[in-house]
Amino acid sequence: MDGDRPGRPWRSLSELDGTFVPFDPNADVRREWFDLPTELVDGITPSRRSFLKLAGFGFAGAALSACSRAPIEKAIPLLVRPETIVPGKSYWMATTCAGCPAGCGVLAKCRDGRPIKLEGNPQQSIGRGGLCAVGQAQLLSLYDAKRLTGARHAGDALEFSAADTELRARLDEVRARGGAVRVLTGTETSPSTRAAIDRFVGSFRDGRHVAYDALSSSALLDAHAATHGVRALPRIRLERARRIVAIEADFLGTWISPVEYTLGRRMARDPERPAEFARHVQIESAMSLSGSVADRRLALAPWQVGAAVGELARHVAARAGVKLPIELPPFDDPMAAQLEAIAADLFDHHGRAVVLCGSGDVAVQKLVNWVNEQIGAYGTILDLAAPSFQRLGDERALATLRRELDEGKVEVLVIAGVNPAYDFPDASAFRESVGRVGLVVCCATHEDETTALAHWVLALPHFLETWNDAEPVAGLLALTQPTVPPLKAARTLRQTLASWLGDARDDHALVRDHHQEWLAAHEITGPTFEQSLHEGFFEVAQNAATTAAASRPFRAAALEVPAVGALPPEGALAPVLHAQVGMPDGRHAHNPWLHELPDPITKVVWDNVAAVAPATAQRLGVTTGDVVRITAVGGQAVVELPLLVQPGMHPGAVAIARFYGRRGTDRFTRVGPQWLEAKATVAPGGVVGVDVSMLREASAVELSATGRRVKLACTQDHHSLTVPEHLAPEGGEVRDAVREVTLATLLAHPQHALERETTEGAELWPEDHLHAGPQWGMAIDLSACTGCSACVVGCQAENNVPVVGRDEVRRHREMHWIRIDRYWQGEAEDPRALHQPMMCQQCGHAPCETVCPVLATVHSTEGLNQQIYNRCVGTRYCANNCPYKVRRFNWFDYPHEDRLQNLALNPDVAIRSRGVMEKCSFCVQRILEAKLTAKEEGRSVRDGDVQSACQQSCPAQAIVFGDLSDPASRVSRLAQNGRSYRVLEELNVKPVVNYLAVVRDQEERRDGT
Amino acid sequence: MSRRVHVALFEDGAELVAAANACSRLRIPIVDAYLPFPVHGLDEAMGLRRSRLPLVCFGGGLVGLSLGLALQYWTSAVDWPLNVGGKPFQSFPAFVPVAFELMVLCAGLATAGALFVRSRLLPGHVGVVVDPRVSDDRFVLVVAPAGASIRAADLRALLMEHGAIECREQIVTDRHVEARS
Amino acid sequence: MALDHAVLDVADTTPLIGGGKTIGQVTRDVCSPLERSPTRLWYGAFGAALTALLIGAVAVGYQLRVGIGTWGLDRTVGWGFDITNFVFWVGIGHAGTLISAVLLLLRQKWRTSINRSAEAMTIFAVMCAGLFPVIHMGRPWLAFWVFPYPNTRGPLWINFRSALLWDVFAIGTYFTISLVFWFIGLLPDLATLRDRASGWRRKIYGWLSLGWDGSARTWSRYETCCTLLAALATPLVVSVHTVVSTDFATSLIPGWHATILPPYFVIGAVFSGFAMVLTLMLVARKVMHFEAYITPRHVHAMCKVLVFTGSVVGLAYLTESFTAWYSGNPYERFTFLNRAFGPSGWAYWVMVLCNVVSPQLLWFRRIRNDLRLVFVLSLVINVGMWFERFVIIVTSLERDFLTSSWSHYTPTLVELGTLLGSFGLFFTLFLLFCRYLPMIAISEVKGVLPGRHER
Repeated sequence: MDGDRPGRPWRSLSELDGTFVPFDPNADVRREWFDLPTELVDGITPSRRSFLKLAGFGFAGAALSACSRAPIEKAIPLLVRPETIVPGKSYWMATTCAGCPAGCGVLAKCRDGRPIKLEGNPQQSIGRGGLCAVGQAQLLSLYDAKRLTGARHAGDALEFSAADTELRARLDEVRARGGAVRVLTGTETSPSTRAAIDRFVGSFRDGRHVAYDALSSSALLDAHAATHGVRALPRIRLERARRIVAIEADFLGTWISPVEYTLGRRMARDPERPAEFARHVQIESAMSLSGSVADRRLALAPWQVGAAVGELARHVAARAGVKLPIELPPFDDPMAAQLEAIAADLFDHHGRAVVLCGSGDVAVQKLVNWVNEQIGAYGTILDLAAPSFQRLGDERALATLRRELDEGKVEVLVIAGVNPAYDFPDASAFRESVGRVGLVVCCATHEDETTALAHWVLALPHFLETWNDAEPVAGLLALTQPTVPPLKAARTLRQTLASWLGDARDDHALVRDHHQEWLAAHEITGPTFEQSLHEGFFEVAQNAATTAAASRPFRAAALEVPAVGALPPEGALAPVLHAQVGMPDGRHAHNPWLHELPDPITKVVWDNVAAVAPATAQRLGVTTGDVVRITAVGGQAVVELPLLVQPGMHPGAVAIARFYGRRGTDRFTRVGPQWLEAKATVAPGGVVGVDVSMLREASAVELSATGRRVKLACTQDHHSLTVPEHLAPEGGEVRDAVREVTLATLLAHPQHALERETTEGAELWPEDHLHAGPQWGMAIDLSACTGCSACVVGCQAENNVPVVGRDEVRRHREMHWIRIDRYWQGEAEDPRALHQPMMCQQCGHAPCETVCPVLATVHSTEGLNQQIYNRCVGTRYCANNCPYKVRRFNWFDYPHEDRLQNLALNPDVAIRSRGVMEKCSFCVQRILEAKLTAKEEGRSVRDGDVQSACQQSCPAQAIVFGDLSDPASRVSRLAQNGRSYRVLEELNVKPVVNYLAVVRDQEERRDGT
Repeated sequence: MSRRVHVALFEDGAELVAAANACSRLRIPIVDAYLPFPVHGLDEAMGLRRSRLPLVCFGGGLVGLSLGLALQYWTSAVDWPLNVGGKPFQSFPAFVPVAFELMVLCAGLATAGALFVRSRLLPGHVGVVVDPRVSDDRFVLVVAPAGASIRAADLRALLMEHGAIECREQIVTDRHVEARS
Repeated sequence: MALDHAVLDVADTTPLIGGGKTIGQVTRDVCSPLERSPTRLWYGAFGAALTALLIGAVAVGYQLRVGIGTWGLDRTVGWGFDITNFVFWVGIGHAGTLISAVLLLLRQKWRTSINRSAEAMTIFAVMCAGLFPVIHMGRPWLAFWVFPYPNTRGPLWINFRSALLWDVFAIGTYFTISLVFWFIGLLPDLATLRDRASGWRRKIYGWLSLGWDGSARTWSRYETCCTLLAALATPLVVSVHTVVSTDFATSLIPGWHATILPPYFVIGAVFSGFAMVLTLMLVARKVMHFEAYITPRHVHAMCKVLVFTGSVVGLAYLTESFTAWYSGNPYERFTFLNRAFGPSGWAYWVMVLCNVVSPQLLWFRRIRNDLRLVFVLSLVINVGMWFERFVIIVTSLERDFLTSSWSHYTPTLVELGTLLGSFGLFFTLFLLFCRYLPMIAISEVKGVLPGRHER
């Protein structure tokens, strides 16, 4: 347009004088920012026009600087070398996740001196780039205003120094008296902290450190102590396996190190090498994440775990031609035959097979070890050379402590990072016996059941604001550094104990010094602390050879006959208390992202439920949503929970997620919109879910209907691809949103494992659009996806997806941009789950675009389906017309329940206001960032430069993002794969998300999916 | 402007038409007739030309149609072409409804507008009031005063015999015009 | 075509206007109610309507302040009561235009006593309809963005490919043309009122009547103009509901994506519209004492229109179900099975009962003669037609392609309040109309009276 025409309307100063250029992705990146008026440069007196222009820049600048969300002077920490910080530009800091003891490496994306996103560290060997939902959610916990600060004694707040002087005095007199001092922690993977604890307890005549885990693997440790002479967890290298048999171990969901195991399993099951494809068999009583994706799954009675393992051992022995060292009772169960087959299969894959067992019975674990020994798992898959320290809890030491507490022997009890008053095996007993302890010091991040009983409460910091180290597996020293100046006055246990012993060093020094000691101990010279810090870890090289080298002799003598589980009386059920993927233990109860994460199995949010098999529900005359009363047989424990009918459950079991009903969760009362018909997420004074710990000792429970019903907040109403019987034609109707191929089919024709109808040539009109630059697309390998939901939280953190609360989810108004559709197929007794991540398919012929009256959603030249929030008037026509139902509408404004959490918002993504539509954008902000970087480096965007948030977080690396127009890119190659298909392809809306069919190593299915 | 005329009041439209026909046969110029509802045959008797409103209507429709098509084509294909659901920039079939509606709108408004202007139907305008009962149940025929062709008495007789219940000479004024001049 | 057929066989049985009225009587009968102070009955009705309107205003106000979330919609069902009410009201409007335009072209004399109020009904119904597309927006204060006006955003225009946008133009045009047509029809009668009135009433009516003096020249142009407008309104009325139906027909949701929708919607609109006219006429007849003007012959004629259109609607239901089955498209087939036997199946059967079965009773003269029965049936049909729109919109959305996203819609109090409010608005306006404007087209009725000699 020419700028000289007088009286012509203009929309920017640059257009007024004709220098306006519409944004051109290929233009020089600096141009879009400003053109300096030449007359000024040349020093000629400025015209009115250019004066206005400059003034405009001035005002814009002022406005921008006024926009920054955090008070800058606070947010830029001096810990970080200032020259590394360019305000408004992100930088990365390597650290280590402390969401659980697994110790995955984390890269924290920081902006203006605060972390805004956590991502897996690809170099570090635990997570290998993956980060689970819990890990992703740790970001929000950092900005939790309810975290404790400073020290507290008898209700009044103190400085740490003041607290120390008083406590030192108390401790000195106890030391003099030689009284019993106990330090109670969870699994402490930090060697420097362990050292500090040892120094502390060592300074007393009767001092001891007791570690326990709410999710205990003590039996596994003890078993290895007995059979291999080392109390350690073997590091499990699943990538080397061809056969994986898991018994009551949800190793993909909650068992020990899920992220590590998920990638291991995925590598062992590479559909591109079908001959090497590892078979996964799951034997369990409750439906777990691992069970839902297993090739074969046997529903096992909870009381028969020991017997089943014994039977397995018997058959392995028979196959191996060795004599089982112990005499096992006969196992009469229809499962026996299958176990025999499994045993044979395991033995036939000697050295490539492994059995994982989650049982809490040492005898059972010993048997499992023996089986693993026989099938050659040790030295190949199970690595005792570099064992894992991801679980160190010791039940026997704990039992001793509990006895001492009851007897009132303990004088000083220091509790750090654990909540025994809530998750002790018999919490009530602890609550009562802890009263006999003279001095109880509790180091905690939040007010909880235990701090209420403590004499002294010292605030623990969040791992993102402290120095720390961890040794999750032998030979890997993972470091943690502050990514933000402390938001709370808090102190690690390490520093607390050190200062009590008069050691004045701060955490930084303690960690740094220990790093050097550790290197010395491993006879390593080289990396400085700063180097390790930069990488986030230092690792001693491990490989198959080192694993094999340290195979230890197996002590068959240690084997013993597992106790026979108690068969529940007629009509009663055996309770299975399990951890839930989103809520692995109680300490995450303050994290709304995790509460609103649909459970991968039940799809329920903000609640725990009692899950029973369909047959059982029928027998009891109850159904999903009925509130049932659960009474311990021969006990007085009673809880009331909503019931959920869960396919695949053993009919004799009822499964309930532990770690709900945490004190303090009434903070979520005002989460979500408040309006006429809204129901509070938590009743005032109430809690989220129900605490069922009192059922832990019970071996059998009675279920009875209370007559009350609740509507569970469940993100899915229909749980199968099969449409209801009475609405389907003869022979039923099954929709093929998720495709499956059997391993046999894949082996037979790897190139075209499935037939897909093509819509080529179905065009009604000539293609007259410009497709410039990369054509973004995605490929999702459903065979790798386990449904773990890490991507859901990853996306939530990246894209500022709000939390809407229980009632809104109940009304099907969850806001997640990526959801995981979970379909049950097969019979109710032996179902298999199909997990399908579903996000905007960025259709080439997008139905949503055509129907928008105001052009608020249009197509970019790079094939993106763009949603323009500030143009949207909210007719919701686009959402109606979306065949994938991936569009999300802002029914209300959804502010953070905790204002401090606004610091977790991603500044690169707009906050959507009430009344506009939103949806997955393929992380367009990341695409732009990559393009700008590439331009500044004077190159074009390379394959892999752009990683969407979901792709990055995926522990199974199931998601690949890239340029479909580049035939060499990974995503294009996957799109050509024989298993590749597109959902609802027949509609010819041209989605660019390619799904790769699920591969299962099982015989042709009966329900004809 | 005001003029002296013969006014005849009838109770039945048919009679008025008959009277009008008689007058025109005798070359007595009919000034106008005022009726509570349209009576057929009067136009012919008064020798009124067919209205040209249909032409206005057609013109309006034509303008609306072309306007609609032009607007849609220019905004979607020329001024800022956007890729909407992969549809062509110039999606003619999708432009039909709006073009049609605009055609009808313009045609209708043009027609109504023409009527108002042509018949001086405007707010505040007060028409010729020969007799207030015209809007109720009286049919009024207004003819030129007796002149060369016929004498006043004969004219009255003629009208009376055709059923006029009242017949008088009076000055009719168009107050609207008066106000203007 | 079918319409005049429906009427022919009652021609010449009873006179159109009873009681041997003279022209003067007609004037008095129609005007006097407006010159008397209103009856207690009128006050009662008006109070009720106004209350309903206020309830609706509160509901809408609350929704505007708090958010669309106060409606029962969800991520799967984006439209519920809002668009259902919209289509329902637009449909109601159609009878008015049909009676005034189509019957005018078909020279149906019997239309004269009802066309005035039928046209008024059209205008008020379209006003109610127009309300919903605006308030159903997430950000109604930006509703003006749907108009193509030069702006500083590019200029960013609008998407002429969107059926919602076609609605804007269709409804806008429809409302304007109906209003003009109605007003032109009113001119002679306003003049009549003016000449009977005195004082401020005379001033107002005088101003409104634009100085109408009943000149023969004006009358002849006037008649041409009316014929032209009628000729324009006839395709317009068809186009309007066709466009409304394309909101669904041009989408790809099974149950929406059907080529039969335009004719189906148009005939449905006529059906519901006539039912509503009948309802109003039967009430007005009693309340305003117009027995002589709205005679059984009018009722019979309208009943026959109902039987005819009702049967066509029934045929449409059958056809779309057959298409769904015959197409072999599993999604389509499922949608229709789900409509009838799914969780919202009850609504489907209410619809069939009210729209297909109940009008068949009107085949019987005995039933047509019993005005109370006819009144009840007309109400039943209105309920049924509301449900038709509900069934089409909601049950299709509830369960579409991916079973994971299936959901179930239940309205909230706010939505019920809004629906009530729209009825409040409609009847408030209609009652005011009865009070201040002639409900019967005086000049037109005079035109169909037998002349003095024929008497």
